[in-house]
Amino acid sequence: MKKEIQKAAKFIEKHCTADDYTLSVYSYDAEMTRYAQNMITQNMSGLRHGVSLDVSYGNKTGSARINSFDEAELKRMIETAQNIAKLNKPDPEFVPSAKKTKIPKTDNISENTAKANMKDMVSVIKQIVDNAEKKKAFVSGLVTKTVTDFYLKTKNGFEAFDTSTEFDNSMTMADNKSKETKVSRSVKDINDYCVKDEIALLNSQFDALTKPKKIEAGQYNVILRPQAVLNFFMFLLYFFDRKTADYGISAMAGQTGKNMFGKKFTLQSRLDEKDITVSPFSGGGVAARNIDWVKDGVLRELVTDRSYAAKIKAEPNFISNIIIRGGKATEEEMMKKVKNGLIINNFWYIRNVSTRKNEITGLTRDGIYYFENGKIKHSVNNLRFNEIIHRASSNILMLGKEFNIAANTKVPTMLIKDFTFADTTTF
Amino acid sequence: MDHIEVALDHAQSLGAEYADIRIQKTRKETIYLVDLSLKNTSMNSQHGYGIRVMKNGAWGFAHSSIFTKDEVKKTVESAVKVAELSAKIKKGKGIRLAPERGYIDTYSTKIRIDPFTVPLSEKVDLMLEVNKTLMNYAKIKRAFFMLENYNDDKFFASTLGTRIHSNIYYVYPMIIASAVDKNDSQSRQFDPGGYAAGWEHILKMDLIEKAPSIAEEAIMKLEADEPGEIRRRDLILDPHHLGLTMHESVGHPTELDRVLGWEADMAGVSFATPEKLKKYRYGSDIVNFVGDNTLSFGLATAGYDDDGVPGQKWYIIKEGILNEYGSTRDSRPFLDDGMSRGCCRATNYFDFPINRIPNLYLEPGKKRLSPQELIADTEDGIYIEGRGSFSIDQHRVNFQFGGDMFWEIKNGKKVRPLKDVLYKSNNPEFWNSCDAICDERYWKDFGVNNCGKGQPMQASRMTHGASTARFKNIRVGGSK
Repeated sequence: MKKEIQKAAKFIEKHCTADDYTLSVYSYDAEMTRYAQNMITQNMSGLRHGVSLDVSYGNKTGSARINSFDEAELKRMIETAQNIAKLNKPDPEFVPSAKKTKIPKTDNISENTAKANMKDMVSVIKQIVDNAEKKKAFVSGLVTKTVTDFYLKTKNGFEAFDTSTEFDNSMTMADNKSKETKVSRSVKDINDYCVKDEIALLNSQFDALTKPKKIEAGQYNVILRPQAVLNFFMFLLYFFDRKTADYGISAMAGQTGKNMFGKKFTLQSRLDEKDITVSPFSGGGVAARNIDWVKDGVLRELVTDRSYAAKIKAEPNFISNIIIRGGKATEEEMMKKVKNGLIINNFWYIRNVSTRKNEITGLTRDGIYYFENGKIKHSVNNLRFNEIIHRASSNILMLGKEFNIAANTKVPTMLIKDFTFADTTTF
Repeated sequence: MDHIEVALDHAQSLGAEYADIRIQKTRKETIYLVDLSLKNTSMNSQHGYGIRVMKNGAWGFAHSSIFTKDEVKKTVESAVKVAELSAKIKKGKGIRLAPERGYIDTYSTKIRIDPFTVPLSEKVDLMLEVNKTLMNYAKIKRAFFMLENYNDDKFFASTLGTRIHSNIYYVYPMIIASAVDKNDSQSRQFDPGGYAAGWEHILKMDLIEKAPSIAEEAIMKLEADEPGEIRRRDLILDPHHLGLTMHESVGHPTELDRVLGWEADMAGVSFATPEKLKKYRYGSDIVNFVGDNTLSFGLATAGYDDDGVPGQKWYIIKEGILNEYGSTRDSRPFLDDGMSRGCCRATNYFDFPINRIPNLYLEPGKKRLSPQELIADTEDGIYIEGRGSFSIDQHRVNFQFGGDMFWEIKNGKKVRPLKDVLYKSNNPEFWNSCDAICDERYWKDFGVNNCGKGQPMQASRMTHGASTARFKNIRVGGSK
C-alpha cells in the first residue's frame, strides 16, 4: 500500500497546479466477524482506501475525495478540487498548509495483529459461544482486526506516514430473564488479548447479577468501572475546543488555568505512554506532543486547530491519545471507603443536555450492582443520570489502576460520591 | 454488466446457495460555512462493489473498488471463504432467506434540477447570505450552515435473476445559530433533514427569509426561563420533534433484527417481542404508524432494498396495536414464513446490508384540527418544536427527550418561551397518552440522515412524518 500511496503523491505533486495543497490518504484493511445469539450473523472482509485533496488559490479553497489510485481518477480529483477552489468565495480564516515538521516516532504496529486472519477470529468466537452455551446464555458481539495506513503531504513540505494495527472484541452476554452484561477491549497486539481472561471477566460480571431490585432516583456513591469512566468523561471532548470556549458557547469559557475540575482528575495525551498507541500527527498537519489537558483539576489546554491557533497566536494541538490518570485503590477498598453505593459497568446513549453547563444525560447498561458495607448485595434496575461532568470530577474519592480499555486509551476505575441519577427505568 | 455475470456465476460455481452484487457509485457534495468562513467545500466520490454470498446457511461478504474480472472473482472467493468459516458457528440450519422472486426494473428519484449542476457560486452565495443575516444580530456568536447534495447510482443483481438500477438523490441543508450572553449559550437550528429531490426543494425553502427567526429565537432562548421542577402536564409536539420521538421509540423497537437480538451488543434489543404482535397496546386508538418505502421524497425509498425486495407500505402500529415489524429476507424466517418488508439497506458499497427503519410516519388525525386549536384546548402544557437532547435505553422503553424551542401553554395560550426543557416517559405510557393529532393539512416530513446502527456502525437514512400531536400528563420540566 505504501508504494501506491507514494506513487499517488508523486502524481499529485506533478499535476496539481494550485497555489497550495494538502494530500491525505488512508487505507483500512479490515476483517470483521459479527456474532449474535450464539451464531455468526455477518462476516466481512476487504480493503478500502480514500484519497483526499485540499487545494487553494490565494484564500479560495476546494476539496475532492475519491477511493481509487487510478491515474485518470486522480487527475479528475485534482481538476474537481481546483475547479471548486477557483469558483469558490474567499475564506477569511484561511491558513496555508502545514510546513515541514518533526514527527515523533511511534510504535503503533503489531505484526501479530497484521497477520491474524478470519480463522483466528472465528476461533475466538467459538470459545466465547461455547462459554455462553455452558452458562445457558446468549452472546453477541463483534471481533475486528484492522490495519490502518494514514499519509499526509503538503505543498509546503509536511510529509508523514503512520501505520497502526488493532484487534478488538466486544461481547454482550444475556439470559432470557434480566441478566445482561458486556466486556469490550481493543489492543494493538493480538497477543496481548487473552480471550480466557476476557471470558472470565464477562462471567464474573454475569454471575454477580441477580434479579434487579428497583431503587429510587437520587444521588449515590458510584464505582465507575473503566468502560463507564471512558464513556462518561469522553463526552467532555465534544466541546473541548478553544474556539467554542472563547466564543462563550461551552462551559470551558474563561476556565483555562483555573481549578475547573476536581484535584484527582488529570487528563493527558502522551507520546511515550507504555502499552498504548499514539497518533503521531493530525489530519491538519499538527505533530503530536505531550499535553496536559487537565492537570490535578486545572484546565491547562484546549484543542486548537491550525486556523484558530494562527488567529490567536497559540500553538496548535490535537488529541493524540487519551489517558485519565489513576491511582492504586482496588474495587474492594473503594467499597469499604463509603457505606454504600452502586457499581456501574457501563453507560449508554449519552447526550448533551446543556453545553454551557457541561451537563449530560445517559443510562446505565450492562449491569449495575448495589453494595453495602464493602460487599455487593444485589443488582438494581438501570438508572438515568443527569450530571455535570466537572462536578462529577470534583467528587472523585478514589482512583483505581489505569486500565488499557482501548488501543489508544487508558482510564482507571473511579469512586465518585453523590453522582446524580435523575430517573429510574422499568428494567 | 460483465462483472455482474462473472460474480454471480463464480459464486454459484463455488457452491453459493444465493449471491448478490451491489455496484455503487456515490457522489456527495458538502459545503460547511462557519460564520463567514468556508471550512470545507468538497466533492467526494466513491465507486466499488460488495458481494454477498450465502453458503451452508451462513453469510459471507467481501468488497472491492477494483473493476477487473480477476478482482471480481477474487472478491467472490473471499466472500465464499468467509461464508464457509461463518458456517462453523451457527444454530440449526443457520440463516435462511424469506421467499422472493427476481425483478428487472429501474428507479430514480424525481428531480427537476440536478443539485450537482447548480453553480457553486449560487450555493455559496445563498449560504453566505443566511449566515450574514444571522451574524447581524450582536448576540449571535456563531452561525453554522451545512449543505449536502447526494447521489447514489446503484446496480443490484442477484442469483434470483434480479437486475435493478437505481439513481437516488437527496438535498440536505442545516442551519444553526448560537447565541451567547454573560451567563448562557443557546442555539436554535433549522434542520429538516434530507429530502429526496433536487435543488428545486432548496429553492422552495426560502432559507434567507427563515434566517431572522432562527437568530431571534436563539436569542429569545437566552433570556427565557427554565421550566422548573419536573411535574406532569400536557405536551404538544410539532412534526419535526415527533420525527425523532417516533424514530427512537417506535422505529428502532420494531426492527426485526433487534427483536431477534442481533443488535444486542451495540444498538440493543427490543421490548416489542413477537408474542406481543397483534395484541400489545403500543398507543392509543388514534395512533397509526405506517412503514412506507414508496414515499416519493423518502430517504429510504429506492424502489427496492438491498435484498432486491420491492418498497412496500404497511401498518407497523394499527389503531394503537403492535401490528408488524420492519424486516429483511434474513430476519423474517426467524419469525414466521412471511415475506420480507424490504428494510435491508447498506450505506456504502463496502457495508454489509442490515435491517433498517423504513420511512415511518404517524398518520394524521381524522378530525379537522389545527395546532392553534390544539393549543387553545390545552390548559397547562408545553409546546415543543424541533429536536434536542435525546436518550433512550437499549431495550427502547425508557427515554428522556429535549427539543429546540419551547413555549409554556396556560389556559389555551402560548404565554412565554422556555429553555432547557426535558420530558421523561416510556413505552407504552407515551404513545398511549396521545389524545389528539392534527389533521392532514399539518402533516410534515422530517429526514433522518445519520441513523447510527450496526457493527461496524453505518449511518443510514429514512424519512418520518407527523402532524402536531398532544400527549396528556407527561413528566416534563428542567434537568434535575
